[in-house]
Amino acid sequence: MKRKHLTIVLFLVLATILSLSCSKQKDENSPITITIWHDKEDVVVDVIKQALEPLSPDIVVNFERKASLAETLKLVGNNPQTAPDMYLYAHDKIGVYVEMGILEPITNLVNSESIETLVPMTKTAATYKGKIYQLPIYFETLLFLYNKKYMKPEEVPSTTDELLTYVQNKTKYGHFGYIEQHSTPYYFGPWINGFGGKVIDEEGNPCLDSKETLQALAYHLKFVKYMPDETEYATVNTLFSEGKAHTTIGGPWLIPTIKKAGIDVGIANMPIINQTGKPLTPYLGVQGFQVLKTGVQNPEKKEAIIKILQILSSEEVEIKLALASGCAPAREGCYSYDSIKNDEIVMAMRNTAENAVPMPNIPEMDVMWTVTGNLLTAVNMSGKDIETSAKQAQEKALSLIENMK
Amino acid sequence: MKLKKNDSFKCYLISSPSLALIALIVVFPIIYTFYISLTNMNTYHWFNPEIIGFKNYKQALFVMDSGFLKAIFITIVWTAVNMVFQMVIAFSIASLLNSPLLKYRRLYKTILMFPWAMPGYVSILLWKTGMFNSQFGLLNQWLTKLGFSSIRWLASDLSAFICCTVVNLWLALPFMIMIIDGGLQSIDRSFYESATMDGASTFCKAVKITIPCLKPIIGPAVIITLFTTFKQFDIIYLMTRQPGSQTGSTIQTIITYAYENAFISNNYGYSSSISIIIFIMLMVFARFSLFTNKKEEAL
Repeated sequence: MKRKHLTIVLFLVLATILSLSCSKQKDENSPITITIWHDKEDVVVDVIKQALEPLSPDIVVNFERKASLAETLKLVGNNPQTAPDMYLYAHDKIGVYVEMGILEPITNLVNSESIETLVPMTKTAATYKGKIYQLPIYFETLLFLYNKKYMKPEEVPSTTDELLTYVQNKTKYGHFGYIEQHSTPYYFGPWINGFGGKVIDEEGNPCLDSKETLQALAYHLKFVKYMPDETEYATVNTLFSEGKAHTTIGGPWLIPTIKKAGIDVGIANMPIINQTGKPLTPYLGVQGFQVLKTGVQNPEKKEAIIKILQILSSEEVEIKLALASGCAPAREGCYSYDSIKNDEIVMAMRNTAENAVPMPNIPEMDVMWTVTGNLLTAVNMSGKDIETSAKQAQEKALSLIENMK
Repeated sequence: MKLKKNDSFKCYLISSPSLALIALIVVFPIIYTFYISLTNMNTYHWFNPEIIGFKNYKQALFVMDSGFLKAIFITIVWTAVNMVFQMVIAFSIASLLNSPLLKYRRLYKTILMFPWAMPGYVSILLWKTGMFNSQFGLLNQWLTKLGFSSIRWLASDLSAFICCTVVNLWLALPFMIMIIDGGLQSIDRSFYESATMDGASTFCKAVKITIPCLKPIIGPAVIITLFTTFKQFDIIYLMTRQPGSQTGSTIQTIITYAYENAFISNNYGYSSSISIIIFIMLMVFARFSLFTNKKEEAL
């Protein structure tokens, strides 16, 4: 009998909960909630939260950190129940999401001034098929770093041939004249771009067997011979932090660890490639806000998103965000502020960005990271013939790209 | 008879919530994956995929240069080698642990369980950087101290295969040792006493008593381990193919192959077809194993 009563009570509780949840209606005065996904450190998110505080209580912004943001977005990007309204991420996935049909052009949500005042290169990065899909906030490039203990500022090689001579003379007794993640496509970027080559062109055609790519691979290999066999991030970081590597190419994220290890690190211009007369030209990664189509379906949410983007377009907020992330602001006006002008790392990135190449944002690039990585591994680590490996990689890339369609 | 039918109906009725749950979390994903495998679902047809029949299967199985068949071959070799080593080593260690002369066996058993308690991801990366790294790895540190030149352990296919096998054994042995150890303890000691009185050798006792008695106990564990080894991804991928830290080895199992060729190109139709092929292979093997077991039981 007792059990019967308990069952009835439980059933009633369940029915009440269900009826309450189903009949939940939106209160007209309830705040608009905007969800933003990101993969950033707390220090960056705190700056955004602080900047958006004036919007409360009418607009509540929820930040959700997603470790595999890019992949998760593919699965839920068109579902209003589970997708975020906006996300803060790098520009290189824009093409994939546009082709999937989940991104709203940012120009529909911000005024033209917010776009015109951007560093031109960041605008290019955010553009796909003639439309801008990202509100760039800050950008990052690789920098030429050297250990001042071994190299004085006036001794920094200005050309790659000078660097090679230095490497040949100094790589001994457990020391390395120069190291980089030699078989990672992102770090090969400065070489291939410097030789005028490309991993993939704007139309999505792979260029792994082009003359420029072959030249870049061959010349790069001369340096690889003087580097450790395995050069993943941890090895490069450790060798430079322990003072065993004299120079490297690394991102701004490397600098805090190096400084913490007590290394007196210098930042210099990228050396000029003797054969082409162009400097090593790294990729440019632009971080910014992208808005999903599901986010702007509701007019009230759309209004809220416009207000959020307006705040995030201000120079003051972008300066704070850039400094928190250790990167360079995406808005030209920010560079007239002392806090930016006096920051050696930020200004070095700004200078490097003059020549940098935005990471391709077309969907086909997803495939190219893996194929180029395999090509570099074959040439640099397995000692395979450059021409044959490049040809095989080109065929593989073509077949995988065909497979995408 | 009528009563039995009612009973049967009641049984199904009572278990219907569980059956519905199983259908939802096990059967539905398989059916849905099969459906996707028949479509061209990719970046350009994400929300409007079209049915293209068995084109994805044809591409996976019959396009010889796709590397899928080579990956299947390596997967079979990988599974066979690992299973043989696991069985032999686990049986040897478990037998030693059950030796009546052994002291502190509980301590040894606890130590042997350590690799199982550690997260696989951590263990793999520890082996990769702590042992096999050519710059900082322990093996090369020893070699250098002994006056030899360092070796790139993960650079060639063969040495990478051996290194991955070592790591897999490190991770998988505790489970097999535990199962065999449990099996050994359940064998009636009187069998051995009778065999000793009949003058049987240690080898003879192992072949005629231990192994036949162990078979039904370790059978399910072997099947589970076989499936886990067959669809192993973490070890080979993290040791040799992780973006940014590739080592030069080109070994691919079907899972790493499927990941690199299907998932990176966002071709979910193609990757689903590979998943279904792997699923069918495992199902055929499971059916075959169960059939063999039943046959042996009948005998």
